[in-house]
Amino acid sequence: MLPKSSASKCRHRRIPDAPRITAANAPSASLPLRFIVAGIVALAIAGGWLVAQPALVTQYHYGPDAVAFTHLVLPGFAASVVMGVLYQLTPVALEAKLHSERLAHWHWWLHVAGVAGMVWMFHRWDMKQLGHFGSVFGLGVVLFVYNMTRTLARVPRWTPVVFGIASAVGWLLVTMLVGLFLACVKCWPWLSPFAPLAQMHAHAHLGVLGIFIMLTVAVSYRIVPMFAISTMQSARRAWWSIALLNLGVAGLALTILFQSPWKLAAALVTIAGLALYGIELRAILRARTRAVLDWGMRSFLTGLGLLAPLSIVALVLCWPGLPTTSHTLQCENVYAVLAIFGVLWFAILGMLGKILPFFVWFHRYSDEIGRNKVPQLADMYSAKLQATGYWLHLAGLLGTAGAAASQLAPLATAGCALLAASVLTFTINAALILSHLRRGRTTTPDLPLHTAPAST
Amino acid sequence: MTTTAPTEADIWQTLRRIIDPELGCNIVDLGMIYHVALEHAHVRVTMTLTTPGCPMGDILTSAAESSLRAMPGIEDAEVRLVCEPRWTVARLSPAAREHLGVPADA
Repeated sequence: MLPKSSASKCRHRRIPDAPRITAANAPSASLPLRFIVAGIVALAIAGGWLVAQPALVTQYHYGPDAVAFTHLVLPGFAASVVMGVLYQLTPVALEAKLHSERLAHWHWWLHVAGVAGMVWMFHRWDMKQLGHFGSVFGLGVVLFVYNMTRTLARVPRWTPVVFGIASAVGWLLVTMLVGLFLACVKCWPWLSPFAPLAQMHAHAHLGVLGIFIMLTVAVSYRIVPMFAISTMQSARRAWWSIALLNLGVAGLALTILFQSPWKLAAALVTIAGLALYGIELRAILRARTRAVLDWGMRSFLTGLGLLAPLSIVALVLCWPGLPTTSHTLQCENVYAVLAIFGVLWFAILGMLGKILPFFVWFHRYSDEIGRNKVPQLADMYSAKLQATGYWLHLAGLLGTAGAAASQLAPLATAGCALLAASVLTFTINAALILSHLRRGRTTTPDLPLHTAPAST
Repeated sequence: MTTTAPTEADIWQTLRRIIDPELGCNIVDLGMIYHVALEHAHVRVTMTLTTPGCPMGDILTSAAESSLRAMPGIEDAEVRLVCEPRWTVARLSPAAREHLGVPADA
């Protein structure tokens, strides 16, 4: 029997930041699932595209196919997944019921139609139609931002996690508006006094840094302690990391746009925010109870670790007076490969590897727990496949980054094939997890029902 | 037909059926149960979470409550979630320590 002395010290109140009505807050299973599946489909198409056109990682990045591919990966894969995760995570983990599920379903239709059209029109380089599909996507973003703003307004206590999510939602709106402006400028060039490449780079930084890295940082303050059994070690440090990141995003976008030498200062502010984040994350991990981290967590942490080399390349690229040579352009390609296939792809796939089983389990088995024997999260996918995918991904990243730096076509082909193979392993695992929604795997309990042997 | 009144040991055994799906270990061995009180056919349980605000919190408490209510001889069950004292690694049973790879002296 466990000691009861501790119980006498209990103050009988709920944990303040614990969800009170988790199940009631959760949206219907179809909502986040639609976004996540759309994201996985975009990822699978991106994998196929890499195999068909490995020159994507070596060619000049301001071409129709490179821009189309980037929009397939960022708004198509990354944004779909994070939007689905936020529609689920915010109500369940932050104790705030989603403002309108109906609006979110409308958002999905606009999002899918908008992204598909944008990618196709970038490929055809039809800027007029791009503007139309961009507007459809933009309308979806407006619905998302409105819905999330109303939802976040209900969160009882603001934490660095909420601050980060709210910041990313704000940057999403700005990125989308800048993107639409860029589409207009393509049709009416007199609208903008800025250099086309500077505008495009500012737009890309707003998206990658403001939305995706911001969200990765914010969400990790929540999920890393949860999955590693630890706690945030310094809320103050976490607040500062998000604040500096916000300052850095704004500074970088403006200094890139105006081609200002202050770009280096903005980059240093951003790196300071990321460094604080790294220190806090290290402290959280050092305080963890769980000794062994699974492949989902390893993938997520690998993505975060890749922020270090990405920051170094960023510092090189924003050095004042850096001449524009073929080497600079190769360095920009390495930067893009590290950011997209490295940081984002690893972090998002790792996060999905943890969140997707939880999400499916939550909707399929939460009512069965204690009554029937239900699978554990780790039973819902193949850990071996996950490990294989991780190593293929790492090898693919090295190959594509090496190809971007060296312009070697065979290396690009090999790197892209490895990345596509890692996507395939992830897709198979995702299918295994999602199959539980159609066919549950519960069994009648035979007492005693516990996986770890009982003691005490 | 007669029903034997459940004992406190039966309550603990029932709670062992509730497995944290992420950790793969039951909530008793995880040290999440602080207190069990059985008075006649009424059972009151006080429990905590390994991480404050864990999204599994309500699922685990609801599961514990419904499992206890389903026990023969139990008329009512109440499961309270508390934050004090905070859960620490010291509450893990030896079996849970082994399962999670936590050293015995941690």
